[in-house]
Amino acid sequence: MLKNLYKHSILIISVFLLAISCDKGEPAVVHEHEVFTRVVLEVKKDGETNFKKYTFEVEGHDDHGHDDHGDDDHGDDDHGDDDHGDEHTEVELDTNSTYHVSIFFYNDSDPDNIEDVTLEIIEEADVHQVFYEMTEIPGFSIAAASDDTKDSNGNPLFLKTSWTTASETSGDVKAYLIHEATSKTGSTRADFGGATDVEIEFEVHIE
Amino acid sequence: MHHFIGKIIFNFFFGPKKCKCSSCSKLTKSVAGISLFATGLLFSQDCNLTLKGKVVDLHDNTPLEGALISFVGMNENVLSNASGEFLIKNQCEGKLSLKISHVSCEDYLTEFDLKKSSSKKFFMEHHIESLEEIIVSENKLKDLSTTANSYSLSQLEKDRYSSGNLATALGSISGVSNLSTGNSVAKPVIHGMYGSRVGIVYDGVVLENQQWGLDHAPNVDLNAFDNIRLIKGAGLLKYTGDTPGGVIVLESSTPKISDSLYGKTIINGMSNGRGYNLISSWIRSFNSGIFLKAQGTLKKNGDYSTPNYILSNTGNNEENFSVTIGRNKILKKLKINFTFYSQEIGILRSSHIGNVGDLLRAIQSNEPFVINPFSYEINFPKQFNKHYTSSIEYSVRNNSNGKWITKYNWQKNNRKEYDIRRGSDKYDPALDLTLDTHNLVSSYQWNKSNISYDLGLFSQFQDNYSNPDTGIKRLIPDYVKVRLGSFFTTSYSIFNNLDFNFGFRFEHINNLVQKYYRFSRWNNENYEVDLGPYVIKETLSQKLVKRRLIFNNPSFNFGIKSKIIPSHEISFNFFYTQRAPDIAEMFSDGLHHAIASIEYGNPFLKSERTNKFVINFEKNEGDFQYNFNPYLTKGKNYIVIEPAGVEQTIRGAFPVWEYRSISSSLKGFDIDLSYKFNKNITYKNNTSWIEGVDENTKTPIVNIPPLITNSQLQFSISKWKSFFGSIISKYVFNQNQFPDNNFYTTIIENGSKVEKLVDISTPPNGYHDLGIDLNWGPYKLFSNKISFSLTFDNILNANYRNYLNRMRFYNDELGRNIMIQIKINH
Repeated sequence: MLKNLYKHSILIISVFLLAISCDKGEPAVVHEHEVFTRVVLEVKKDGETNFKKYTFEVEGHDDHGHDDHGDDDHGDDDHGDDDHGDEHTEVELDTNSTYHVSIFFYNDSDPDNIEDVTLEIIEEADVHQVFYEMTEIPGFSIAAASDDTKDSNGNPLFLKTSWTTASETSGDVKAYLIHEATSKTGSTRADFGGATDVEIEFEVHIE
Repeated sequence: MHHFIGKIIFNFFFGPKKCKCSSCSKLTKSVAGISLFATGLLFSQDCNLTLKGKVVDLHDNTPLEGALISFVGMNENVLSNASGEFLIKNQCEGKLSLKISHVSCEDYLTEFDLKKSSSKKFFMEHHIESLEEIIVSENKLKDLSTTANSYSLSQLEKDRYSSGNLATALGSISGVSNLSTGNSVAKPVIHGMYGSRVGIVYDGVVLENQQWGLDHAPNVDLNAFDNIRLIKGAGLLKYTGDTPGGVIVLESSTPKISDSLYGKTIINGMSNGRGYNLISSWIRSFNSGIFLKAQGTLKKNGDYSTPNYILSNTGNNEENFSVTIGRNKILKKLKINFTFYSQEIGILRSSHIGNVGDLLRAIQSNEPFVINPFSYEINFPKQFNKHYTSSIEYSVRNNSNGKWITKYNWQKNNRKEYDIRRGSDKYDPALDLTLDTHNLVSSYQWNKSNISYDLGLFSQFQDNYSNPDTGIKRLIPDYVKVRLGSFFTTSYSIFNNLDFNFGFRFEHINNLVQKYYRFSRWNNENYEVDLGPYVIKETLSQKLVKRRLIFNNPSFNFGIKSKIIPSHEISFNFFYTQRAPDIAEMFSDGLHHAIASIEYGNPFLKSERTNKFVINFEKNEGDFQYNFNPYLTKGKNYIVIEPAGVEQTIRGAFPVWEYRSISSSLKGFDIDLSYKFNKNITYKNNTSWIEGVDENTKTPIVNIPPLITNSQLQFSISKWKSFFGSIISKYVFNQNQFPDNNFYTTIIENGSKVEKLVDISTPPNGYHDLGIDLNWGPYKLFSNKISFSLTFDNILNANYRNYLNRMRFYNDELGRNIMIQIKINH
């Protein structure tokens, strides 16, 4: 009786295993949507036609210099500097000038289909906001340009900005793209709330 | 010759061994004649034989006291004692016909050949007359283990938490806490372990629902089960061998064999979250043993609130139902079951953040950034989980006390997590995992009066599919897992006061994983050396690796339990477990929004090995009762996730967390005390302390519950017969044993760049939570019984945060909640 029961169960299990032992198909490649892999700043001096282009890449840490921000002390040494060496970008500006600056956001994770996310941001203007935050840079200011996109409440998105310089100086600027900000105006990043989708940092050199 | 004729006649009348007393009385008389005749013929043979019998309940093996054993056709009879035993002396060799009767059991007629003095066990189908008896008989359930303590939720406790979830319900047991993500997502933590280290067994099969995720609550409805019990430690090798934390067992009781319809309905209304529940279960059973059980749960909650603000987007909805159809016979049982579980959970709106700067601002802020008016609406971010189960179970009991059970179970789990997204992806889930699991288990149980065995084979096939249409790289890859193995458990008791238990389980696990690695990660980690040969495809930015990972894991346990003096018990249990790393631990790859971290699996992990030692001192009789339960768990290759640097992206700098194996040591104790002052007042306390250390670095392990002490004063009032209440006071101390996983981030403040500490490690202060339960009933309502209860949680409306809640960076715990419960037993 017992033997039979066991014979039966072994039989059932082997049939079951046979039925399920088929291989699985190859998983499809995921093309990442709505990620930001590249941010471009186009800086054009008023009155000139040429512009300077500054590119910020998502994984640009492989072959650039390291400008450390103190993270090393707190991170894990095993990973070396490559993981968190910021790509240091310097934006060169002339004294006593005005610049027209445009910011663009791209997703190039699928090289065959590079996506300009800026268009989507303009489409959903109400839930997006660009904010420039800077250290003390005397005489330097950033304001919305006249051709900037405005949301339904008339708030400029700061996609197109006007930069004014005065005397020789330098300082750090952070540019944020904020999604679903709780406030569309403010003077610090905290004032806006929301989630940070992009945070890039560069140095402005005014000379 | 007369033997032969006797047998035929006997079989003719008693073929169906079970029959109603009334219809049997005539038969009994006629058989009596035959038996007397037979006995007469056998007169010349040995007449000094004895029969030692034991009458036990067929369903749970508990001894039946006071069973009347009568010789068919004679006026002699004996009664079974407290251990269900009886003795019949001076019997002659030959056929013996007995009728066994017991209150609320159908009479059991049996006949067998008595050749020498022997002992025999008799199974009675015990019929539970009323629902109250179900409650009483809960404690009569067969112990999960003969040596390891099992802890159970009483019917009342289970009902109290009917509006909550499994983890919160179990949280009232010492040594068990919750690891939660907000109010609706909670995982049980047993002795400092959770996730894949805690097994949840429902109706005899382990629940497979992506249990690795910290924010993945078990997809099971506690209201669909009658009994909820747990063992702290890997004490149930019949079900799992890789859960060193413990095993939670959810069971449905077997409906009675009689023509009846009964059920239970619970209606809950809650002030916090303005939630309401309707929970109902019905059982229709027939004399033939056929039964039909249907159960359904509907839950709806809106935004919860803390004492000071509303937690926007924290509502949840649940819709569950289960149907079981089966047939119970004394010797055979068939059960077919289907369950559906569906849960939609809103995740605090403010916890969807973009980067570390956002996390820092959230930690610095006292309140969430988004506080909207109360709403039942669930927006993004949210989780939407479904779990389907179909199972079929067949068991046969043979005459030599053996029982063969075969069970097939199919589980399909779908988990969708929605983030706040933009454009065309706005309504698409960010994570969409479908886990299909087939289980086939076959086991043979055999028991004699003092020894029992359970031997079985099992196989599992599992397929995980990660939907690529999410447009977000897979958090865990597609894989196929085959698990095969067998188990053997045995328990042996010497007299009544010394029990031994031993179990062994072997699992062979074969994973076939196909994962895409991005070039950046591939190069950084130098994976080419080890994983290069497994690359089967290369795209412009990714490599597809197909790897087969095989683990062979033996597990065993050993236990001894002894009664030193009456009512005092001491037990020692040892559990050795080997757990194959989770797919998530080996291959996870993604960004966690709520804690702004990037998580990477470690593809070279080995099986985790743990040795757990548990001692129990227990006194479970009298006015003063206690249970003291110290334990020690030593882990080798114990898998933890730890910070491993910072990754720079154009979203900002993200801390990177990676899985690693360490040598671990977890030690602690649980104490349960109760003292009955008089028949109206009882005081209960349970206290749990645990410490977890990484043996190599001597640093504490993360997410270990702090010291918790839970007191309860239960009172009733003599004048009000159907009232009783309790005051529950929970004190959670400050956890001062924690690893420092803090990091710095640079922000611009007042015109200059400053470094800020992002403190994700320091636990919040201790807190005190006071609650009151008041219960009235049961009262008669037509043919039903109705009870009421009024429950107050956090009655002082205290403000506090909880170390084991991942939302502690964003919000306080819930404020006062008043729950009204109406319970109807049909």
